[in-house]
Amino acid sequence: MKTPLFSEHERLGARIVDFHGWDMPVWYSGIRQEHLAVRRRAGVFDVSHMGEIIVQGKNAPSFLNRMTTRNVAAMGVGTVLYTFLLNEGGGIVDDLMVSRLAGEHRYLLCVNAANREKDYAWLAANNRENATIEDASDSYAMLALQGPQACGIAEACLGFDANGLKPFHVSAWETGDFGMLLISRTGYTGAGGVEIYADPQAAVGLWRRLLDGGATPCGLGARDTLRLEMGYPLHGSDITEDTTPLEAGLDFAVDLNKGDFMGRSALLEQLRQGIGRKLSGVEITDRGVPRSGCRVFKGGRVVGAVTSGSVSPVTGYGMALAYLEPGLCEGETLEVEVRDKMLASRVKKPPFAPATIEEGEALFTHGTR
Amino acid sequence: MDTLIPEGLFYTKDHEWARVEDGKARVGITDNAQHELGDIVYVELKPAGTTVKTGDALGTVESVKAVSEVYSPVGGVVAEVNVELDGSPELVNQDCYGKGWMVVIAFEGAGPSKTAGIMDAAAYKEYLAKEAK
Repeated sequence: MKTPLFSEHERLGARIVDFHGWDMPVWYSGIRQEHLAVRRRAGVFDVSHMGEIIVQGKNAPSFLNRMTTRNVAAMGVGTVLYTFLLNEGGGIVDDLMVSRLAGEHRYLLCVNAANREKDYAWLAANNRENATIEDASDSYAMLALQGPQACGIAEACLGFDANGLKPFHVSAWETGDFGMLLISRTGYTGAGGVEIYADPQAAVGLWRRLLDGGATPCGLGARDTLRLEMGYPLHGSDITEDTTPLEAGLDFAVDLNKGDFMGRSALLEQLRQGIGRKLSGVEITDRGVPRSGCRVFKGGRVVGAVTSGSVSPVTGYGMALAYLEPGLCEGETLEVEVRDKMLASRVKKPPFAPATIEEGEALFTHGTR
Repeated sequence: MDTLIPEGLFYTKDHEWARVEDGKARVGITDNAQHELGDIVYVELKPAGTTVKTGDALGTVESVKAVSEVYSPVGGVVAEVNVELDGSPELVNQDCYGKGWMVVIAFEGAGPSKTAGIMDAAAYKEYLAKEAK
């Protein structure tokens, strides 16, 4: 499948990869440059492959409250929540953003591209409340404009006061050139900025306007290193149907006191029995790059395994998310097995690097650290 | 962007190049290889003195996204290793046929020109075109 911006990616010379059936740009100029552009200035990502599911009707709040882990029924119009769909066992079917749109009971669920059909089917199969559920993914293009200058670029290009919109808030914005946009103060980079939902027909014009406004085109490669630097989990890698939000340390997005919801009793049971593993940050102090599946050792004993790994373009250190035995302290030394070598590492609570950096600020790279 | 394939070098199917200088072969990875790998963050090479056969691993190149082995285009002894790559692995991206070289091998016998499977620039170009299809 191709997003409405595919021809733009080709025009810009992007390296294209298959991402869950989508032909997506992995980079244009290079992952490192794009990563640093977002940390220092602003980058724009085509995230039109993400799924959009609209849930509405007077029973939509009670339905979503039962199907997600947060108190969706208490959301005001124009707010956004990060939450989960869980299965009966408390495993994560998907992580998603719920936006409450204008209108009486109208919610936009932004879900992972790979899970779009699964999520829709899961919601439909459990729709005892008779809410109206629609897979509206084909009606939306989505751009993520991220970085310390992103809100300024949004204002210059669209006339929208993005700095005036609070984080985790969303606003509809009518433009002459691109029609109605939904602008959300959210993102997956930690660097600030907005995510913009637009009519697919308007996507190319909007994308070009943001490039002209000074945003660097960024691919999925930088999207991955940026989120990993912040310690944000990726569904399918760090969180799956076999892991719970409690194991992933994402308790902030679980409201156990709001009443019953899918997976709640399993989470309570897990709390009673104790959490056997915790998703943790690991920084490699030796030279080398951890990868998914690498085993983590402490004093010769296996204490966990890496679920995502890369190298931070900012610090030059290898970084990983790994499920580890609980009870390991910040800074505690570990070894990560990378191919035939044991690399000295330490427990490090993310972020692995600052979310934004000043232009000209020194980076810690392999050569200088 | 056109892939650089300088004349006068020898090329392998695994996308290494070799340049014969004074009875030794300087070895690196091709422009196509560095482009495919993307931003290189780590290069680990066998130390000087290591004996290698044709096709043996000379080391690993790691990019943000992938890990790749570098294979020796020729048999011999590693005579020199590019220590610059320790601190500046990005040289492989910036100048793969120049400052991004990896090792120099003191080869045995006739060297890469007579090694099976080794291509000249024209043959490598054709090989890339076929691989792309």
